[in-house]
Amino acid sequence: MHNLDEMPARLAAFLAIEEPGWRDIEVTSYEVMTGGYSRLLAKAVVRHAEGEHVFVLRGDPPADKQLIHTDRQLEWEVLRAMQAAGVRVSTPRYFDPSGDRLGTKALVLDFCEATSLLPYLAGTTEHEHRVVAEELAATAAAFHRIPVEQLPASLARPTSWDDYIGARIGEWKATALAHVESLPVLRFVAAWLDAHRPPAVPLTLIHGDFQTTNLMRESDGTLVVLDWELAQIGDPREDLGYFKAIAQAAGPDLTGIDADAFCARYRELSGMTEAQMNPAVMAYFLILGVVGTVRQLIEGGAAFSRGENSALGTLFSLTNIQYGQMMWLQATRQLDQAFAAAQEA
Amino acid sequence: MLSRPTTEQMLRGIVADLNATVAPALPDGPAKVAVAMMTQLLLGCAVRAAHEIAWMHDEIAAIEAAVGAVPAAHGESLHLDDVVVRYHAASAALADAVDAAYAAGDGPRVEVLRQLLEARNAHEMEIMGVLELVGRG
Repeated sequence: MHNLDEMPARLAAFLAIEEPGWRDIEVTSYEVMTGGYSRLLAKAVVRHAEGEHVFVLRGDPPADKQLIHTDRQLEWEVLRAMQAAGVRVSTPRYFDPSGDRLGTKALVLDFCEATSLLPYLAGTTEHEHRVVAEELAATAAAFHRIPVEQLPASLARPTSWDDYIGARIGEWKATALAHVESLPVLRFVAAWLDAHRPPAVPLTLIHGDFQTTNLMRESDGTLVVLDWELAQIGDPREDLGYFKAIAQAAGPDLTGIDADAFCARYRELSGMTEAQMNPAVMAYFLILGVVGTVRQLIEGGAAFSRGENSALGTLFSLTNIQYGQMMWLQATRQLDQAFAAAQEA
Repeated sequence: MLSRPTTEQMLRGIVADLNATVAPALPDGPAKVAVAMMTQLLLGCAVRAAHEIAWMHDEIAAIEAAVGAVPAAHGESLHLDDVVVRYHAASAALADAVDAAYAAGDGPRVEVLRQLLEARNAHEMEIMGVLELVGRG
């Protein structure tokens, strides 16, 4: 997909089949994009007798260059479900499920003209951050509210919240035990999480990589959610905890400008109770919510150690694990102190 | 063996040249992002080259002081691969001790073990330096 000599012709041939009504299709521009570590990205400008379009192609890297392994078919189905539910995403247009036509399994999406949220936040004031924080709560609640029966059948349905959370906590320990060296911080995190489970909530769709760099802001303030490759059915508070976790490294932390107000807004839109969603629960999910990504990144590091992966991004992403360990240890200590203080009171 | 400049100094020198000469000559895009990642990783490698064997030794001793002797963590060789094997054995003993402390509801014991993990993490932070989300957003 990053072969700039071949791809314009491949894409034109692909579109000629997908859009038989388009005449004189020409790919006038095709360039590699940066912006994500896990998948190949390219931007293409396509002109034909009936009009012009700008697309983003999002495909799998070669097997030995894959930072994480996810399913493009599932991502395609989730994107279509989000579009049908009215959640703002980059509109999914076409899919090459075999990779025969585009060189790798790839989605073709409309190019999103909105502004990347991270630089937008960097150039605006705290007052504007508060406005975006409210929109963030609404955006998360919008896809968390979609009835599970409207989601793709290929998404696994956990049997109960207890089983699901038990499995998520177990994922920390399993990740540690499966690694090429012992990781006692992960074992500590697993034991701590198990000892401090929050109240249950209904399981919903979760994005799985809900962070500022996967959000764009349209001129009317609406947030567009990108990169659904880690979507699954889980505890919706995982997304908010995950957002908070990533924001510690790449702020501002929109959930923490006024954590009580953020939680109240999310509760209002999601129907959760205060016991189910409050700043302490969000901090619990700051830890639990990252386990899926942690597992994938650590598995990548193990594959690199075994000589099965040579991607630079795999090595670089291990810095997130280093930072994460610091954050998890700090969060468990702060929450323990808060719980102890609450008990004394 | 030429021991000076040290490995740390050499790696920092390479980073300086990447930043001063290579990165400015590249257009924005994947190659520039790759060089930014490489410089971050090389800085971490410099810290590891300077300290990792000593840090692992110190940690093994501290873990044994807390959880008791770990025979598989003993040895004389200072070759990195051998030290890593011993460090793994000590780390596994620490992880098992954490599980046991939580299973027993032994808060003071949990605190002792948590402090070992925090000391380990302080080294990780020195290796990581400043976290930059290169190429994102």
